[in-house]
Amino acid sequence: MKRPELISRILIVTGILLAIGAPLLLWARTPLIHARMAENGGWNPDVIQAEAGKSLHLKLTSDDVVHGFAVGQMDMQSVDVIPGKVTDITLTFDKPGIYTFFCTRWCGLNHWRMRGTIEVSGSPLDPEPASVPLYVSLDLDIDAPHDSSIIPNQKPSAVSGQQLATQLPITSYQSPDYYRSHSPYQVFTDLSDTSLTESQKWDAVAYLWQSNTTPESLANGKELYAQNCAACHSENGAGDGVFADDLAEAGEASMQTMEGAMDMVMQSPVDFTDPRRMLGASPALLQGKILRGGMGTGMPMWGVIFTEEQIWDLIAYIYSFQFEYEK
Amino acid sequence: MELTRLPFLKSALKNRYPQLAVFIVMLVGYIFAILAGLIGTPVGSHNFSIVFVWIAWWAILILVAVPFFGRGWCAVCPIPLPGEWLQRGAVLSPPDKRPKWLNLRVPKMFRNIWLQNIFFLMLALFSSVLLTTPNVTGIVLAAMLFAAIGLSIIFERRAFCRYLCPVGGFIGLYSQTAPIELRIKDKQVCVTCEGKPCYNGSQVGYGCSWDVFPGGMTKNTYCGLCMECIRTCPHDNIAVNLRPFSADVAKPTARLDEAFKAFIMFGAAMIYAGVLLGPWGTLKDAAYNVGTGAWFIYAAVFLAIIFIVLPGLFTLAIMTTKSKQALKQRFMSLSTALIPLGLMFWVAFSLSFVLTNASYILAALSDPLGLGWNLFGTANAAWRPMLTTILAPAQTLALVVGLFWSARTAQKVNEAGTSTIPVFVYCFVATSIMLWLLL
Amino acid sequence: MSYRFALLLLVMAGLVVAFAPLPVQPITPQERTFEIDAHQFAYSPSELHVNPGDTVTIQLVSTDVVHGLYVDGYDISVEADPGQSATLTFVADKPGSFRFRCKVTCGAMHPFMIGKLTVGTNDWLYRSIGFSLLAIFAFFRFPRVAKD
Repeated sequence: MKRPELISRILIVTGILLAIGAPLLLWARTPLIHARMAENGGWNPDVIQAEAGKSLHLKLTSDDVVHGFAVGQMDMQSVDVIPGKVTDITLTFDKPGIYTFFCTRWCGLNHWRMRGTIEVSGSPLDPEPASVPLYVSLDLDIDAPHDSSIIPNQKPSAVSGQQLATQLPITSYQSPDYYRSHSPYQVFTDLSDTSLTESQKWDAVAYLWQSNTTPESLANGKELYAQNCAACHSENGAGDGVFADDLAEAGEASMQTMEGAMDMVMQSPVDFTDPRRMLGASPALLQGKILRGGMGTGMPMWGVIFTEEQIWDLIAYIYSFQFEYEK
Repeated sequence: MELTRLPFLKSALKNRYPQLAVFIVMLVGYIFAILAGLIGTPVGSHNFSIVFVWIAWWAILILVAVPFFGRGWCAVCPIPLPGEWLQRGAVLSPPDKRPKWLNLRVPKMFRNIWLQNIFFLMLALFSSVLLTTPNVTGIVLAAMLFAAIGLSIIFERRAFCRYLCPVGGFIGLYSQTAPIELRIKDKQVCVTCEGKPCYNGSQVGYGCSWDVFPGGMTKNTYCGLCMECIRTCPHDNIAVNLRPFSADVAKPTARLDEAFKAFIMFGAAMIYAGVLLGPWGTLKDAAYNVGTGAWFIYAAVFLAIIFIVLPGLFTLAIMTTKSKQALKQRFMSLSTALIPLGLMFWVAFSLSFVLTNASYILAALSDPLGLGWNLFGTANAAWRPMLTTILAPAQTLALVVGLFWSARTAQKVNEAGTSTIPVFVYCFVATSIMLWLLL
Repeated sequence: MSYRFALLLLVMAGLVVAFAPLPVQPITPQERTFEIDAHQFAYSPSELHVNPGDTVTIQLVSTDVVHGLYVDGYDISVEADPGQSATLTFVADKPGSFRFRCKVTCGAMHPFMIGKLTVGTNDWLYRSIGFSLLAIFAFFRFPRVAKD
């Protein structure tokens, strides 16, 4: 064989091997965490190992649409996971345990199913006893009907309620413990021995609810609501969010995946503007619903995601669909 | 004007190394594109294979290569390289003429472009998936490479390129309009030439890989510009010429497969403009969801438009004038008029698609495998349509030029001497529809 | 008619088609609001008609994944998550027809998620059809030039 022929052949073969080998090698050496819509597999891998006190580097990429990444109950800014791009993130876990990471940008009806876990190993430094949520310590049945039998004729106004507050001994009602464990309707009935008219009583309740939150909490709750709740419960709280129809259609399919929940009736997202339902619900009851989720109704379980504070902020915001707060 | 008079160009074409160097670079790029399609990000608009094949390569092919260089792409396409190596038993060294493999002649019934038409349509019906799914693009690219290798082993010459390549079919059709041609200089020299080494090969080179005898060539359609005849001609009788645009379409089409190729391309451009660039979501869903009922309807309508509606209306149009010439003959020759307009339909359609998505090229260049690299600092280049203000005027210009060009072509190929007004009307209506779809 | 004169006429006819002002009824600009549903891979409604000078507000409601809306020619855009609709307000001061398209990768067919905004009448389309007619007429006037 002549030399030019030989060199040409070597060049071609080298080129082919390089074009195949180099990408394969580089690809194999870059482990990525892939995000897909839940119906196409969700996170892959969905279990990540880490060690307490050591930093964990993750490279995240999306294979279809915009997703987000955050770790539940952790003080961190969520990051976007953009299709075809790689997001680098470094996490450090102080304590060992099992953490849940989840998608933070709505990516379809099953967005909330897109979760995974980070198993953080290491010796427990100071094992904290898990605190019992309020709804458990109050022994509330959060699935029992809780309708308010009396509803106000118009949206109760916290501003009017504040004017009444000076004349009335309602300060005893203002403690957080009282607020959290009573529904607006219960407070309304507790106020029955006062000389107030019905609508004044409702205004006082509105004021009481407002005085148990802050503008910052409401703003925080509003943001959490927009990001996590509005897609089903609707931006205006009416329960007719963009996924409400899809949920009804997918109802049966989603219920079959829930063990032992076949007898439950598919529910549409709760209408937070419905006074009968909302004025009969205490903050503790709502906490229970949010923490545990709807058990097969399509309402996610948020216990592993939100901190306790976030849940109280969210609840404070949800009541603002019922009450006219000070602007 | 004879370009091969330029000494630099001539020696660059006669010498094997420049072309081989380009081939190797192209082959490496081609294989990389296959791999990127298979292992890169599944997100089409960020995957190297999709962005480079369907935006960058397509733009170069349809906006530059075909209109200005005809089969210029075929001259550098790497697909035949591995198969030809096997077939010839060498990359460079001219033969030793013993066939290495079966070296069969392609059966007569396949020696036309119907297979290319079918292969093109098969891809066209799946185009929404092909254009957006990196895996599918990777597999199709690999399949074409392996098909070329397989056919090289069974048949003689470049059977894949000539009879099967879905791209080659329309490049050949539209290369007739290009201002570049490879032709013989003096017919008499070929008549007396012994052994016809340009077709049969010689000690210095291979016989025409496209199964064309240069001495009898009047059109660009099947000349792949492989440049082998420039190397083998013992009489220096082969020239590459610069010529006026559309010189070949003055000669009427005389084959039904080519006539239908014109309709296929003409119709596909219009359908794509409507489905891909139009505001109708239902059409896009139907085109994308391959295998569903809606897709079967889409496919049926697609084929009906191409094989029944467009040729049918064309036939009705030309039947309005009486002529002694047989209808089939007139259909074929007058269909030549659709070639320049069809090319301009594709130019106008591609301008929109390419300018809108060209910014993806920067991002894909910096991170070709979607692994978070930033090779050239452009990985995070934001998507932004380019030149949106001149897009519509440019599309109009392309279509109006195409229409004028087609009218001119109709006049030239009209052998029967009857009025060409029906063809004008047909082309005008089609152009108006295309304008409506695009603007 | 000499060749030059005919050519001059043709060029003038071309200029007329390109630039002649079309009769416009004076319309008082109004405020228009559109609620556009965005879902894979379409907008509904996907065709908007407004008058030049109108103040247009588009409320983008994504109903499955994050979508965007970018208006060609105006070079403005908005992005909406499901549950967090977003609005885009602009004055439709450029007449003509413009595509609007998704700007957030939303799945396979994302590059083809397209709608159409028409401000006033789509003059350029009619002018272009005019050019096409002119091209054919020019061809009849200059058959010899065309034939060489």
